[in-house]
Amino acid sequence: MTTLYVTLAGALGCVVRYLGEYAVRRHHPARRPWATVAANGLGCAVAGWTAYHLLAATDTQLRTVMLTGFCGGLTTFSSAFAIPAILQREHHWGYAAALVVTTPLLCAGAFALGMSFA
Amino acid sequence: MRSNITLPPRQLALAVGAVALGGAVGTLLRDFLLRIHPVERQGWIAYAPPQTSWTQHVPWVLLAMNVVGVYAATWLLRGVLRHHDPNDPTRALVITGLLGGLTSYSGLFVDLAAVWHRSVAGGVLVAVGAVLAGVAAAALGLRGHRHR
Repeated sequence: MTTLYVTLAGALGCVVRYLGEYAVRRHHPARRPWATVAANGLGCAVAGWTAYHLLAATDTQLRTVMLTGFCGGLTTFSSAFAIPAILQREHHWGYAAALVVTTPLLCAGAFALGMSFA
Repeated sequence: MRSNITLPPRQLALAVGAVALGGAVGTLLRDFLLRIHPVERQGWIAYAPPQTSWTQHVPWVLLAMNVVGVYAATWLLRGVLRHHDPNDPTRALVITGLLGGLTSYSGLFVDLAAVWHRSVAGGVLVAVGAVLAGVAAAALGLRGHRHR
């Protein structure tokens, strides 16, 4: 049963990420990659909170559904590096470098914030 | 590339459906693969025995999945999907859904926290290594199309 919930939560996370990218792209096509960065940051913040605050909870199922499922689906490692690679290929070096450097820093900050958020 | 697109409801529903389907399969695959070699995921961080070495908590399987995901996404976006815009159902299914669901940035940080609690230097090392591995995988994905 856990597997089913994890799968559904993962699909939901991916859809939230896609809709965020879609919304940004509608108005600011060139800034779409920042929506992916934001999704990664948000996912890490939720993961930080979940990992530390649901730790005491005996309900490991909920933790797995949130961490592996929702946060895992909401965040993406593949696009975080593939999109900058494509941008670099199109000679947008600065943009590509900014995305690659910002994402892990934002994720680390967001994770720590989620962790310390009561 | 077309800009400022607002998709008609039916096309948006199709793209969302494709993302959901791809995301479900990707997440299922990640969940399955993570079970093969579980990184001390239960009772980790504060409750896990502090005697264990940080090297035992490096999320190798997730790192491998992430690297493969970056390579595949870059290779596809430079190759067969190069003219597909982000709202295209095929790209939504494979890139945003399947590979997005298979790879995880948050999972990396959750596992990284377990490493960090044992060795800060180890945590930094794994984090930097993950980013460099991602950059290298993307570069390899681009190189796959050098002769086109």
